[in-house]
Amino acid sequence: MTHILDDYAILSPLRYKNNWLKLAIVTFGILAGVSSNSPLVPFFIAVCMSFATVYFGKIPLRFYMKLMAAPAGFVLVSVIIIAFFFGEGEKLFSFNIPGYTLGVSPAGLNMALLVLARTLGGMSCMFFLSLTTPMIELFSVLKATRFPDSFIEIAMMMYRYIFVFMEVALGVRYAQTVRLGYKDFRTSFRSMVMLGTNLFIRSWEQGEKLYLSMNSRCYDGKLMILEDKRPVKLTEFLLTSAYFSLVIIVFYFTRNMFVV
Amino acid sequence: MHIFEGFLPSPWWQIWFVVSIPVILYGMYQLNKLVSQRREIIPLLAVAGAFIFVLSSLKLPSVTGSSSHPTGTGMAAILFGPAITSVLSVIVLLYQSLFLAHGGLTTLGANVASMGIIGPFVAYLFYRTASKAGMNFYLNVFLATAIANWATYVVTSLQLALAFPAAQGGALASFVAFGAVFATTQVPLAIMEGALTALIMKYVVQIKSDVLIDLRVLTSAAATKLKETMQ
Repeated sequence: MTHILDDYAILSPLRYKNNWLKLAIVTFGILAGVSSNSPLVPFFIAVCMSFATVYFGKIPLRFYMKLMAAPAGFVLVSVIIIAFFFGEGEKLFSFNIPGYTLGVSPAGLNMALLVLARTLGGMSCMFFLSLTTPMIELFSVLKATRFPDSFIEIAMMMYRYIFVFMEVALGVRYAQTVRLGYKDFRTSFRSMVMLGTNLFIRSWEQGEKLYLSMNSRCYDGKLMILEDKRPVKLTEFLLTSAYFSLVIIVFYFTRNMFVV
Repeated sequence: MHIFEGFLPSPWWQIWFVVSIPVILYGMYQLNKLVSQRREIIPLLAVAGAFIFVLSSLKLPSVTGSSSHPTGTGMAAILFGPAITSVLSVIVLLYQSLFLAHGGLTTLGANVASMGIIGPFVAYLFYRTASKAGMNFYLNVFLATAIANWATYVVTSLQLALAFPAAQGGALASFVAFGAVFATTQVPLAIMEGALTALIMKYVVQIKSDVLIDLRVLTSAAATKLKETMQ
């Protein structure tokens, strides 16, 4: 837990591209993936977005693979449950446990593959957004929407303090580890408690200090940020349109196709 | 328990947004009211949110071998009440999905419903009733947080089951299946989180009990009594 995805986004060469274009690509990918009935569309999206993230965004491939493996546990368990319980009819294969027959039907297998592909596609879109667009850029997007000011203010300050506390937490954890604070279950639990308490008290004091310092600088409940103007380049526009039309074509041709 | 991006099919992710949005709007209304009364609440809530985020990104020492993170929302509900916790958790869940790859955007509605609304609400309700009934503060915090965690996990299983009903037995059968499989990690995890939160509260009472009095988690009489029993 030493790096969060935002660290990569800040260094990304795609950071200075138009925010709305990136958001449009991600939203389109997510919506197309979720509403598709064939696993090919989200799979195609996953391939395209992963390529864009790794090639254009210059994210190390190994790191990206590790990221994609993160949701695997939850997804695989759920997909297996879906495969066994969803859909009826002839079973592709089945086995008996005392008093119960478990089997996978074609409909169940199709559904499981679809969900797996959708998750892959959706996660790759999410990773594209979070690995190329730092949160600071998204704040100007949030400001342009009609969210209440207090919400955005809290989001912005929270973002800042995540890094402050993360550093404190990592420092404390390191110090505890060096002193064998995580040598077995009991001590690691004790260390966690101390870490959590310290973090809570420190964050509370930090919040009071923050209020004082911002108040003395005439804070009136609104932080101003200036947005850069970044027009969409022609090549970017063409590439995006090509991607969109390809997805739509795949979507159209595979709408009634099933794997099994 | 976060549901990942793309996992919920089409009618269901919209439905969970429809469920969550009114609660979030109400939370924002409450928040704006609170901010107009006490302006210092914005930085305090922001650091509280950051605290929840960092806490939830720390790995708990694992029992079952799976990676397990505390949700932190039960604690937030005890401290700030369920309405404000729902707003905070929208931001926290958004950051978790963007920075840590936990959760997703279309599933944000469902995740907010389970982790930001129902879990905290259960925790708050339990905490308030039990403290009125005179339960020991630490036991109360432990139970409230653990129950909130279980409520979250039951709701998540329900969300998955409704979206993927079993062929035989419908949503109920798949609810049992999802529930049973995730119970192996969630039951010990909830106990861990409850114990963690209760012990954190113990230290907070010891070192900085005025915070808890400010937030009306404890009355000042109760706080002094707790401190006395400790010595």
